[in-house]
Amino acid sequence: MFKWVQKLILWAIEKPRQAMRYNLITAGILGALVVLPLVFSFIPLNKLTIDTDPENMLSTHEEVRVFHNEMRKEFALYDILVVGVVDKKDGVFTPDTLKKVHELTRYAQGLEGVISKEVMAPSTVDKITNAGQGIVNFSWLMDTPPETSENAKKIYQDAKRIPFLNGTIVSEDGKALALYVPLKSKDISYKIAKLLQDKADTIHLKGVHITGLPVAQDRFGTEMFVQMAISAPLAMLFIFLLMWFFFKSTRFVSSAMIIAGLSVVVTVGLLVVTGNTVHIMSSMIPIFIIPIAVLDAVHVLSDFFDTYKKHKTRKEAVQHVMHTLMKPMLYTSITTIVGFLSLAFTPIPPVQVFGIFVALGVFFAWISTMTFLPAYLMQMSEKTLESFSKIPSHKKESGLARMLKAFGSWTVRHRWIVIFMSLILLVGAVFGMMRIRVNDNPVKWFAEGHELRIADKELNARFSGTYMAYLTFKKEITVNDTQAFLVEAGFPKEILTEMREEKDLSSDLINKAYDYADSQDDSDAWGARIEIAEKRMQIFKDPESLKAIERLQKSLEKSDYVGKSSSLGDIVKTVHRDLYGKEEAFVIPGRSEKIAETLLMYQNSHRPDDLWHFVSPDYTRTAVFLQLKSGDNADMKKVVEAVDAFVKKDPVLKTFDSKWFGMTYINVVWQDKMVTGMTEAFLGSFLIVLLLMTILFRSFAWGALAMLPLTITIMGIYGLIGWIGKDYDMPIAVLSSLSLGLAVDYAIHFLERAREGVRVTKGKWCESVPTLFGEPARAIFRNVIVVSVGFTPLLFAPLVPYQTVGLFISAILFFAGAVSLGILPAVLDLFKKWIFTEPKDKGMTLLTKISIVLITLLIILENFMF
Amino acid sequence: MKKLLFTVLMGMSVSSFAMSANDIIDKANQASYYKGNDGSAVVSMDIKDSQGRSRNRKFTILRKNVSGQNQKFYVYFERPSDVKKTAFLVHKNTQKDDDRWMYLPSLDLVKRIASGDKRTSFVGSTFFYEDVSGRNPQEDNFELVDTTDDYYVIKGTPKKADTVEFSSYKTWIHKTTFLPIKMSYLDKSGKEYRTYSADKVETVGGFPTVVQATMSDLGSGGKTTISYSKVKYNVGLPEDVFTERYLKTPPQEWLK
Repeated sequence: MFKWVQKLILWAIEKPRQAMRYNLITAGILGALVVLPLVFSFIPLNKLTIDTDPENMLSTHEEVRVFHNEMRKEFALYDILVVGVVDKKDGVFTPDTLKKVHELTRYAQGLEGVISKEVMAPSTVDKITNAGQGIVNFSWLMDTPPETSENAKKIYQDAKRIPFLNGTIVSEDGKALALYVPLKSKDISYKIAKLLQDKADTIHLKGVHITGLPVAQDRFGTEMFVQMAISAPLAMLFIFLLMWFFFKSTRFVSSAMIIAGLSVVVTVGLLVVTGNTVHIMSSMIPIFIIPIAVLDAVHVLSDFFDTYKKHKTRKEAVQHVMHTLMKPMLYTSITTIVGFLSLAFTPIPPVQVFGIFVALGVFFAWISTMTFLPAYLMQMSEKTLESFSKIPSHKKESGLARMLKAFGSWTVRHRWIVIFMSLILLVGAVFGMMRIRVNDNPVKWFAEGHELRIADKELNARFSGTYMAYLTFKKEITVNDTQAFLVEAGFPKEILTEMREEKDLSSDLINKAYDYADSQDDSDAWGARIEIAEKRMQIFKDPESLKAIERLQKSLEKSDYVGKSSSLGDIVKTVHRDLYGKEEAFVIPGRSEKIAETLLMYQNSHRPDDLWHFVSPDYTRTAVFLQLKSGDNADMKKVVEAVDAFVKKDPVLKTFDSKWFGMTYINVVWQDKMVTGMTEAFLGSFLIVLLLMTILFRSFAWGALAMLPLTITIMGIYGLIGWIGKDYDMPIAVLSSLSLGLAVDYAIHFLERAREGVRVTKGKWCESVPTLFGEPARAIFRNVIVVSVGFTPLLFAPLVPYQTVGLFISAILFFAGAVSLGILPAVLDLFKKWIFTEPKDKGMTLLTKISIVLITLLIILENFMF
Repeated sequence: MKKLLFTVLMGMSVSSFAMSANDIIDKANQASYYKGNDGSAVVSMDIKDSQGRSRNRKFTILRKNVSGQNQKFYVYFERPSDVKKTAFLVHKNTQKDDDRWMYLPSLDLVKRIASGDKRTSFVGSTFFYEDVSGRNPQEDNFELVDTTDDYYVIKGTPKKADTVEFSSYKTWIHKTTFLPIKMSYLDKSGKEYRTYSADKVETVGGFPTVVQATMSDLGSGGKTTISYSKVKYNVGLPEDVFTERYLKTPPQEWLK
């Protein structure tokens, strides 16, 4: 392995032009493969496609997702844009505002991609009123915009009486109203939202807020691109400036930038060429590859910068640096790759893609560092290299060097203090980790103050909630059940068996039974039997079922998260009330025939099909709509738990098959998968890295030591997350893999150099400490500064996941650097008696061999267990 | 010779009796809704949604022409079984709003239905009340836009655009039977969203009668097929059948 790597380096040093050309050509080709199909659409290659659908967090075959889509079809539900109109001063129920709302509604209905019939607005929904004298009336809530303010107020009052509209179309206080615009596909939602906003602006309709999950997602996709185009290059620029501060040579520093650039281009190129979409996760690939690539390059550059003068020729210097760093860099790359590859075993497809491609990127970064970088150094002009000696920071005892040396001896001398402090830190971290709250919310991917966040806040403060979750109840009635019901009602079995055909559904059998009844003399008596059977089949026309759901809805009223729930029972109650014209009649009537009659009445409206959003036409499945005021997964989870507990206890509801769907619920499902998936993946890769370290250092003790900074870093970071109350969301979850790669990097470099140093000083650890805190420590220190400060531009990104990643990459590097330089030497000093006594034959101790076997077993076990 | 004469006569009938759009519509209205003095039929409705799920309705419909163009309808439900005995009564008035009543037997209620808007769904189907009882020709302006071998194609535009959900419609009226065979409604943005087709025509008691028709809602993808059986004309229905009194006690002898 090493021989092969050595050959590669040698080739780059001997034929620098060729090595550089190969690197650039590869990147050029892949870059072209991405750009050309975008420019020339006739090229039959995979095009760069953006995918912002959180549904894709789950595989298309995932049961909940399949069910979600089946139910959406069954109940004819669509992705919805919520257009809120708020006027805090005068309210929205004025002739002027309503006229504009009416115009906006018309405009929305005419837009391509909007399901015109299903648009919900004051002018497209019905009100049912009891006009007195036995007159009941279905009419448009607002057929034409009102002329007078009394009539405008009347619309508000009419809507408030109807449970479906109150808190949905009109706000409690009359200061806001909302339009619901269903879309044929969610990837046009941002476009439609923009058109609606523009229209509102042209007609001077003020206080318009547009929200809804599809807008958030689609908008995120748009802004994601901006981030990729701004944040990543900005981070690169920062890194460049910092490196320039250390090395003072543009040409020298550019090499690291080129390596990062090459790795990103090749990786993203491969991602696109292989037909993978740019998802929320994969959009972050460059952001993850850049620090890793820079990390490798800085090690080389820093060492070269520090030792160049010691060597006679440039070639010798490059060879020496590459030789010293070859081994640790190979190790660190392997561990980083393992860390990210472990994500391929999570159950979340975008995370799998992310893991695999970041791993590939790390590999490319390594290849480039091994070939492009030495070649680049060989090609640099002597003049640039000569100038190094004039740089103050390069002088033998520069401030940085003195500081690090002093720090090194301090930490070794006060090892007990250091270890004690670390232990306190770890205990604190454990407590912090226990406080971690797992939560995500696509709307919160936008920074506070973003117009979508404001819209979300404004609308959820005034309406019953813009986040939809759906609960279905089902009782399976098979054709056999139907036959049994008919037989029990007195329909002879022989006749049924004779007329029944193989593929008959329940409804077919009933129709045939009616045909038979019609052909008989006493057709009424026959019909009555079928009626009895039919009644038993229509579970959700049974008052007992509807009353049970009503009980559940009552219990939801107490929930802090559910703003409102709607069900078939609400339709029945509303119509029932207005048929009788009195408030006391706002109840579910006691017989299924009465329910049937209210529903028949309801179907004489302008929107009879709204019924089928709540129940299937055979009345065997029903949907309860829950409007949540928060899209937080954690809140949805609490609702699910409360509802499931209620259903389990309810004598009627527990006999039904109950299931959830809707995006708010889907988000909970993938989040759960993410948490368990990431934990498993992390545990697995932690063990694999430990095994690798043990094998690479040929010692379990050294292997375990290498894991120390990583362990403390991870615990520190996640403890911190717990303490500051940052939600454990998707970016936070994947960061554990990054820390695995980055934190172990410093440890490997440091330990490898410590071992090397002790070898040089013939076993005298204390004497080797100053050397260790010379150029190796400087390389790590520079690395920490360059990468951690380099990522601060991300903090100003308008998208929260990017901010999180920026902040935590910096934190990880800071922690890992501090632990490697601060705690590792203290621990090394503590165990110096055992650790530096290597077996003479370079073989492994028995302990190491046993531990290798044990770790391997653990890895296998871990894989079987989950 | 005979053939020639026929051709000449046909030619004459087209040229000399060239009818105005309003004349055609009046004849079509007569042919569709005013056959005989009265009539009765058993109606089956198959309401299919875009997913192919279907629901059935079965009812008997009685009709009597009264003075002027006014008519009275009585609709008596048989299926679905849980709304059996539900009854509708409609007094169609051409000079003023219709009067409509509905009887809900289990709730034991007779309700007057406010009649401002007749373009609401008829019992959950894609047919509107107005499609069942006939739209008053006085509400639209008509224009003959095309004459084909078999049809007069007439475009109707509402006089009061605010009161209806369509912007215009076209109807294909058969030249000999004067039955509308096809209709196409355009929404406010000019897109076709609703179509009617007469699927089966039979001559009953000397009257060409549509015995099966379909109304499709292109927006939702749903459609309703309506089939008429036991069609009878001039059965001598007494006018008191069409009074509120008979809602609760259906006139059984006329419903069989």
